[in-house]
Amino acid sequence: MMTGEQYRASLRDGRRCYIDGELIEDPGEHPLLRTAVTSVAGTYDRFYDPAPDAFHPMYTIPRTREDMDARVAALGQSDITAGTTAACMALVDVAPELGKLRPEYRDRIYAFFEWCKEQDVRCSEAITDAKGHRRKRPSQQDDPDAYVRVVDRQSDGIVIRGAKLHITGAPLVHEQVVLPTKSMKPGEEDYAVACSVPTNAEGLHIVNTTNAPRGEDVRHFPISSRTNMPEGLLVFDDVFVPHDRVFLDGETSHAASLAHALGLWERSNAVAYSGSSADRLVGLASLLAEMNGAADRTDIRDRLSEMAIFATMCRAGWEAAMANARTNEDGTLSPASLYVSASKFYNAELHGRMVDILHDIAGALLVEAPTMADHDSDEIGPDVRDHLAGEGGWTASERLKLLHYVRDLTADTYGGWIAVTESLAGGGQYAQRLVTLRHYDLTHAKELARKAVGL
Amino acid sequence: MISGEAYRESLRDGRAVWLEGRRVPDVTSDPLLAKSVAWVASTYDRYVDESNPMFRVPMTRDELRDQMDFLVGADRTATTTAGCFALTTLSPSLRSLADSIVARDQRMAAAVDDTARPVSASPRADGGVVLDGGKQHVLGAAVVHELLVLAGDTACAVPVGADGVRILAHSPAPRADDDRHFPVSRSSTISEGLVVFDGVVVAPERVFRGAEAFQETLRLWERARAVAEQADRAELIMGLAQVISEMNGITAVPHVRDKLSAIAVYAKMCRAGWDAALANAQVTAGGMVSPDDAFLCASKSYGSQLYSDMTHYLHDVAGGAVVTAPTIADLEHPVIGDYLRKYMRTMSEVEGEDRTRIFHVIRDLFADSFGGWDKVTNQVVDGGMHAQRMATLDAFDLEPARRRARAAAGIA
Repeated sequence: MMTGEQYRASLRDGRRCYIDGELIEDPGEHPLLRTAVTSVAGTYDRFYDPAPDAFHPMYTIPRTREDMDARVAALGQSDITAGTTAACMALVDVAPELGKLRPEYRDRIYAFFEWCKEQDVRCSEAITDAKGHRRKRPSQQDDPDAYVRVVDRQSDGIVIRGAKLHITGAPLVHEQVVLPTKSMKPGEEDYAVACSVPTNAEGLHIVNTTNAPRGEDVRHFPISSRTNMPEGLLVFDDVFVPHDRVFLDGETSHAASLAHALGLWERSNAVAYSGSSADRLVGLASLLAEMNGAADRTDIRDRLSEMAIFATMCRAGWEAAMANARTNEDGTLSPASLYVSASKFYNAELHGRMVDILHDIAGALLVEAPTMADHDSDEIGPDVRDHLAGEGGWTASERLKLLHYVRDLTADTYGGWIAVTESLAGGGQYAQRLVTLRHYDLTHAKELARKAVGL
Repeated sequence: MISGEAYRESLRDGRAVWLEGRRVPDVTSDPLLAKSVAWVASTYDRYVDESNPMFRVPMTRDELRDQMDFLVGADRTATTTAGCFALTTLSPSLRSLADSIVARDQRMAAAVDDTARPVSASPRADGGVVLDGGKQHVLGAAVVHELLVLAGDTACAVPVGADGVRILAHSPAPRADDDRHFPVSRSSTISEGLVVFDGVVVAPERVFRGAEAFQETLRLWERARAVAEQADRAELIMGLAQVISEMNGITAVPHVRDKLSAIAVYAKMCRAGWDAALANAQVTAGGMVSPDDAFLCASKSYGSQLYSDMTHYLHDVAGGAVVTAPTIADLEHPVIGDYLRKYMRTMSEVEGEDRTRIFHVIRDLFADSFGGWDKVTNQVVDGGMHAQRMATLDAFDLEPARRRARAAAGIA
C-alpha cells in the first residue's frame, strides 16, 4: 500500500491539469487543490498497512451483508476518491457477462482490478459525455466527438477522442475509468467503448472546478476547508489505450450494462450514507432550535418531526436495498436496484425541503454571522462574544461554529455543489423514476388489484 | 445630486468597519466591500442629474408601481432608504431629517433587529440619548451614511461615522481574484453588518419618539421589495430553465416540459401575487400608498414554500455543469480554450461560451455563496416560512369567509 507521502509523490507524474485558466504544476501544492490532496493522503495514511498483501477495504468484493457493512464503514472514513474507486470496481460485477461476449474482457477486468488493488491506486468514474444535443443519438450529432469514441484501432490498442464531464476527483486519481454514458445502438460501435486511462496519458487534459473555499482564513468553512474535492472535465485528444486496458470495444449490446453497473454503485454510495446525512440534518436543526431558545415551540417540533421521518425513511431505503440484495454468478453482492433508485429519488426530492426547515430555524444569522477571525480579534472579539451569546448558555463561539457549519453545508459554495451533485449523480430524478418503475413488480401489484376488485 | 465618485469620497469619513477580523480603513478599496460600493455608486451615477426616486413617497398606485420598479432595479440601499423615508408619513418630525438626507443625497439603513444585547436609549439632560447595545442584519450598514436605529419607542438617526459605532461587516461577494464566472454577484451584492453602539451620543434633533409603528412600516417596505423581487426572480428561473433546456436540446422531452410548466405556474403566481398587492394598494394614515399586506404575506409565503423545488427543477434540466462549467479564464487559455468551446457546445446554433455563461448565472444565483445568502435572507423575511404563513392568516379577512361558510351550510 502507499503512504500519504507516496501518494503525493505519485501525483507529480506530468499530468496536465488546469484550474482557473492555469496549468497546475503540482496538485499537492496548489492553493485550491492541496486540501483535497491532503484529505486523500489522509485516507492513505489511515488505512496504510506495510504487509505485502494488504489493501484498502474498498477493494474487497462484497459477497455478504457483513462485507458490505464493512465496506460502507470503511468508505465512511475515507475521502471521496475511495468511493469513486470502489464504484469503478463494480466493473467486476459485469465481468461474467462481458466474459461471455469476449473472454479477454473478463480477464482484463479482473487483471485491472488486481493491479489497482496491488498498486493501491485511485480511480475516477468517467461516465458523463459532453452529449451535444441531448435528443440526438451519438452518431447523429453535429460534432461526432460529442460522445467519447474510438477514432483508430491499432494492433496494440485503440485511440479515443471526446470529453467526459463532472468527473469527481479527476486530477487527484491515477486512473480515469472511461465507460459509455448510455446504451448504444448498431452503427454506434465506435461509441461503445470502456477502458482505463492513466491520468498522465499523452493527449489527456483535465480542466477543473472546485468547491474549495477561497481566502486566507477559511475557519468559517468548517466542512469545505477539510473535505473539498475538484471536479474535472476530461478532454481526450486522441489518447492511445493499450488493449489490456480496454474492457469494451464495439459491442453496442453491452454498453448499457457497464453504465448501469456503475450507476447502481454510484447511487448505492449515495443511498448508503443518506440515513446518516439526514440524521445529521435533524441534529443540526435540533441544536439550532435549542440555540435560539425555540426547541419547545409547537411549530418547531412539527418541523423536527418532519425531518425525523425523512431521516428514518432514508435509513429504511438502504436497509431494504441490502435486505433484497442479489448475488451475481461470480458471487458479487449488489444492493437491490429498486430500493436504491427509489431511495435516491426520495432523498433528492425532499432534500431541499429539509434544508428549508433548517434555514427557517436558523434565521438570517446563518448567512451573516461574523467569522471566527472576528471572534478571535483583539479589537472586536469582545463585541462578538458579547452580542452573539445564545439562549441556554450557548457561547458566541459555539453559536458561530454551528452557524458556519450549517451555512457551509447548505447555503454556500459547497452546499450548492452538494445540492446539485447529490441530485444528479448516478442519473437525475427522472432516471431514478424510470429505474424504479423498471424494477418494480407491477405484475404482483396488478394481481393484488385484480383480487381486491374481484376480476 | 452627487455622482458615484462623490459618493465614494463621502464614505471616507473615518467609519469603524471590520471584515473577517481585520479593520477596513477604506470601504471603497476593500476587495469585497468595494463591490457593494460600486453597485451603490452606479445608482448614484444614474441619477446624478435628477432626484432619486427613492426619496419620493408614493401617493398614488401609479407612483407606487413606478417606485417599486425602480427599487427592484436599483441597489439594495435604495430600498432601505426609501423605507426610512416612508416613515415621514407616520411622523412629521422626521421631515427635517429627511430633507437633510435629500439635500446631501445620502443613503440610510434601518437598524431594527437586536443582538443578544439589545440597544438601549438612555436619556440625556439635553433631550438627546446615549445608545448602547447591538443591531444585527443591518443591510448596507458599511456603505450607507445614516443608520435609523429603533429602540423601543425611540428612533434615532446616527451617522455611520459617529464615535462609538462599530460595524462588523459581512459580504456575500465572490472572493476569486478573477470573478468573471460570478456574473451576478460580482456586481450586485450589498454587505450586511452587525452594528455595535458603544455609548453613542445622539443629539436631540436626531431623536424621534412614538416609534412603535416604525418597525411595521419598515417591515412592510422590505416585504414589498421581497415580493416584487420574488416575481422577477421567478421569471428569471423560468427564462434560465427554458434557455438551458433549448441549449441542451431537451425542451420537447416530457419530463422536462413537466418541470418547465411547474416553473411557469410558479412564475405566474408570484407575478399575480405582486400585481394583486399593487392593484389593492391601500392609502395609509399619512397619505402614502402601500401594497396590500394580505397579498404580500400570501405571496411571500407561497414563493418561499416552493422556491427550493423550483431551483431543484432548474438544476435538473440544466445538468451537472451548473457546478462544473469551466471559468472564463479557462475559455481564454491558449491550450484548453478551444477544447472547452468544442465540448460545451451542443449544436450548431449554440456557442460553447454562451452555454457556459448561462451555467455561470445559474450557479451564481442558485448554487453558490451568493445564491445561498440570497435564498436564506429572502426566506427568513418576516421570521421565516412558518411566520409568513401565520402572517397570512392574520392578514386574511376572515369575516366574509365565515359568512360565506355559514351561508353555504344554511346557518344563520
